[in-house]
Amino acid sequence: MAASVKFRVYRYRPEDGGKGFYREYEVPVKKGMTILDGLLYIKESLDPTLSIRYSCRMAICGSCGMRVNGIETLACHTQISELRRRVITVEPMKNFPVIKDLVTDMAVLFKKQRALLTWLIRRDLVEQENPTHQYIQSDEELERYLQFTYCIQCGLCYSACPVVSTFPDFYGPQPLMKMYRYFADSRDEGGKERIDLVDKFEGVWRCHFAGSCSMVCPKGVDPALAIQLLRRASLRG
Amino acid sequence: MRERNLMLLHYITGLGILLFGAIHVWTLFFTYPLQETIWETTLRFDSLPYAVLPVYRNILFAASLFGLLLCTTIHAMNGIRAVIAELIGARIRWVEAVLVAVGVFLVVYGTRTILIANNLLV
Amino acid sequence: MSRSEYRSTVLQSLKTMLIAGKYGLERWSYVLQRISGVVVALYFIAHVLETGNFIGGITVWSVPDYSFAEKAYEETVKLLKNPLFDVGLAVVGFLVTFHTINGIRLILAHFGFFLGKPRRPEPFEPPVSFSTRQRALFWLSISLAVFALLYALDSLMRVFRT
Ligand code: SF4
Ligand code: FES
Repeated sequence: MAASVKFRVYRYRPEDGGKGFYREYEVPVKKGMTILDGLLYIKESLDPTLSIRYSCRMAICGSCGMRVNGIETLACHTQISELRRRVITVEPMKNFPVIKDLVTDMAVLFKKQRALLTWLIRRDLVEQENPTHQYIQSDEELERYLQFTYCIQCGLCYSACPVVSTFPDFYGPQPLMKMYRYFADSRDEGGKERIDLVDKFEGVWRCHFAGSCSMVCPKGVDPALAIQLLRRASLRG
Repeated sequence: MRERNLMLLHYITGLGILLFGAIHVWTLFFTYPLQETIWETTLRFDSLPYAVLPVYRNILFAASLFGLLLCTTIHAMNGIRAVIAELIGARIRWVEAVLVAVGVFLVVYGTRTILIANNLLV
Repeated sequence: MSRSEYRSTVLQSLKTMLIAGKYGLERWSYVLQRISGVVVALYFIAHVLETGNFIGGITVWSVPDYSFAEKAYEETVKLLKNPLFDVGLAVVGFLVTFHTINGIRLILAHFGFFLGKPRRPEPFEPPVSFSTRQRALFWLSISLAVFALLYALDSLMRVFRT
C-alpha cells in the first residue's frame, strides 16, 4: 500500500466565522494506523492548531465520531488501509453545530434524550428506594432490549439521518432507540406515557426507514429496527 | 393521537389506491372494445375520450372511480404535507390549509367529471 | 451560511433527499419513494384536471357555454399531443409500480413484520433490520417497476410504428 496518504481536513475557526475550509496534509502510513492516529500525527508534527476530540482510542467512549470520505465513522475504529484511497477527506458530523474543526456540539442529542425519558420509570417510589425482593428478568426479556444497550452515544446515527438533516425537530434515531430500550424493558412502567411522547409529528412518524442510522452505527445497535418496533407499539395503541 | 390516526389513514388509503387503481386499469384493459389497441389509446392522449365513456356508464365503476379519487387525494395530500414539512424544516399551518383546499378542489372537480361521464349530470 | 450554526435550507434538504451517497440500499429506497410519491401526486393532479377538461372545462359549473368547453377540450388535446407526455406516462407507470410495492414493504416494516428480532450485535454482521425478506421485497418492487416501464415503452413503440 501507499507509504503516505493525503488528509483533506475540514478546518473551521469560530473567531473567523464564515465558511470553513479544507487543508491538506501528507501523512506517512504505518501498518494498522487508524484515522485518529493520522489526525494525531498531524496535530503533533504538522499543525498543532488542529482540534479533535477523542479519549479511549478503542471505540468505546464515542468521542471521535466524524465523517470520513462522506460516511460517518469513528476515527479510532477505521484503519487508513481499509479505505483504499490516496486522499482521505475528514469532516465533522452533520446535524450538529461545529465548535471548532472536527469538534461538534452534541448537546442537542442529549437534550432530546432527556426529553424522551430515557431512564427506567417506576410507579412505586418507596419500593424503588427499598426493594423488598429481587426483580429477575428472563433471558428472553433481556434479549428484547439488550442490543440497544450497546449504544455509546457517539451521535453517528443522528448525523447520518436524512430526516434530521431536513427536519431538525425530528427526535432522531439515537434518542428514539434509547427510548425503545426502556420501553421494551420488562421492569419499566412508562408504557402509555412513552407512546404518547413519540406519537407526534416530530416523533416516530417522521422516520421513513432510510436505514442510514443502522448502516453507520459502529456498535451494531440498529436504531432503525428500534424505531420500527416503537412505531409498531404506537400503531397498536 | 392525531398523528397515529393520520398515519393509519395513510396506510389504508394506500391499500385503497391499490384496490381501486387495479379496478381502474384492469376494467379499461379488459372491457374496452378494441383490446388490441387499449394501450395505444391510453398511451396516446389524442384518442377520442368519448369512446371510453360507455365503460364509465356503469354505476359500480363510477363508485370505484370515486373511491380511487378520494383515496389518492388523501394519500397524496398527506404525503406532500410530510415532504414539504421536511423540505423547509418546519410545519407551517397555512401550507397545510392550502393542501386541504387543494384536496377538496380535486375531489369536487373529479367527482364532477365522474358524474358527467356517468351521465348523471348535465 | 456557515456550517457552525446548524440550519436547514431548502437547497440543503433537497440535496439530502435526492443524493443517497454511500448509505446503502435502504437510503436509495427512501430517495426513490420520495421522488415517485411527489411525481405521481403531480401526475394525479394533472390527470384530474385533464379528464375534467375533456368533458367540459371549468365553466360547465355555472353557464353551460359549450363553446368554452369545446375550446378547453381542444386545447387539452393539443397540449397532450406531444409525444413527451407519452414517455412521461411510461415513467409514471414505473414510479407507480415502485411506489406501490415499496409502500407495502414499508407498511410491513412499520408494523414490525419481516424485520427480524433484536439480538446481541455480532461484529461484521449487517443490521437485522436489513433483513433478506425486506431486501427481496425492495428488489421485487424495482423489477416489477422496470417490467412496467418496458411494457409501456414497448406499447408506445408499437403505436409510433403504426
Ligand atoms: S446507536 Fe450507534 S451510531 Fe447511534 S449513537 Fe449509539 S452507538 Fe452511535
Ligand atoms: S476515541 Fe473513544 S470512540 Fe474513538
